[in-house]
Amino acid sequence: MELVYSERLERQGIGELPDRDLAIGARGGDMLCFETLVSRKTPAVVSLARRIVGNTEDARDVAQMVFLRVWKEIHRYDERYSLNTWLYRIATNLAIDFLRSSRSRERAHGATLHLVREREESTAGGATRSAEDRELARLFEIVSDRLSEKQKAAFVLREMEDCDTKDIALILGCGESTVRNHLFNARRILRKEIARLYPEFLRGRTLA
Amino acid sequence: MSAICGILRASFDDYLADRLPAPQRRILREHLAECDGCRGAALGRDASFAFARPLADDVAPAEAAAILASVRAGVAHLEADRRIRAGRPTRRRSAVAAAAAAVGLLALTVAGGSARRESPVAALPAVAPTPVADSVLSGGEFEAAGLPAESAAPLSNATVYDLNPGAGREEPRVVWIVDRGLDI
Repeated sequence: MELVYSERLERQGIGELPDRDLAIGARGGDMLCFETLVSRKTPAVVSLARRIVGNTEDARDVAQMVFLRVWKEIHRYDERYSLNTWLYRIATNLAIDFLRSSRSRERAHGATLHLVREREESTAGGATRSAEDRELARLFEIVSDRLSEKQKAAFVLREMEDCDTKDIALILGCGESTVRNHLFNARRILRKEIARLYPEFLRGRTLA
Repeated sequence: MSAICGILRASFDDYLADRLPAPQRRILREHLAECDGCRGAALGRDASFAFARPLADDVAPAEAAAILASVRAGVAHLEADRRIRAGRPTRRRSAVAAAAAAVGLLALTVAGGSARRESPVAALPAVAPTPVADSVLSGGEFEAAGLPAESAAPLSNATVYDLNPGAGREEPRVVWIVDRGLDI
């Protein structure tokens, strides 16, 4: 008996396709291609969103919004350009919007929300991250609070995601010199904040 | 401290000023992740070096599955919404066409009826309530409702009551035609 069709086999085959082909398939309405793309890009999108919005719960919400936006806008995807740049652009913009709205909510509700989130973050969802990375992620969340949304996004994309300045300019919709300015100012603020809040980190490189 | 440590430490300033070419930048980042001595030196130079690395941030399979499930549900919702939106104009057009046909048919019947009869009730005083002048359909209003102008053929012995004044192309117009020429 010949096996004519198996979704599992098809999924395996699709799983080997490059990003661009998956995006082209999704653009043609192929749900399997789209879902494969979602599965493949979820870690990167959640990670980027987590750095910008500052906690896992919100990063998950942002990731869902990102993929829904991708589905809605996939007809605009131009395969001549990198899918990652396009995806990061959507993710960064949505994360910045989310951060802006959550900052205004926090201003309205005081610091309680931030403290609750911090406690939740330290107890949940970090099983797969190393202790040192958790410590650094928490440090970044605290000291990056004074960065503007664009400075934060530029710094995360450059330092943590290792994106090129040119790509960051495309993602943020600004010039490369503006990206360099954002990076310069972000470093200056982070340096100050670490020295002010965690001077012991600079001596012993560990959080109290 | 090895020979490579000295070379890489000399490139800290270029790294911070974003002047380091991509391959050298990658080598430096990888080295900082492994060499405690250089990481300490980098932090001493600029504390933001603490974040010059990808943080291991794996998404647990259950978390990824939950995101995929939510996205799938969201896409299904979007697609259903799209289909409903795409279907609406067709239904609206059908409703308007049906209303136009009904009014047209009634108009023909009324016209035919008045032609056949001598209009015995024409001289009678109006029994039906007097319609509000604005609510009576004119030819122009028929056009505004998306109906062909011919539908507004003169209704010699009938009064048209507009039960849905203000309706336009968005919803069908409902009218009540009282034909005093019909002998029921």
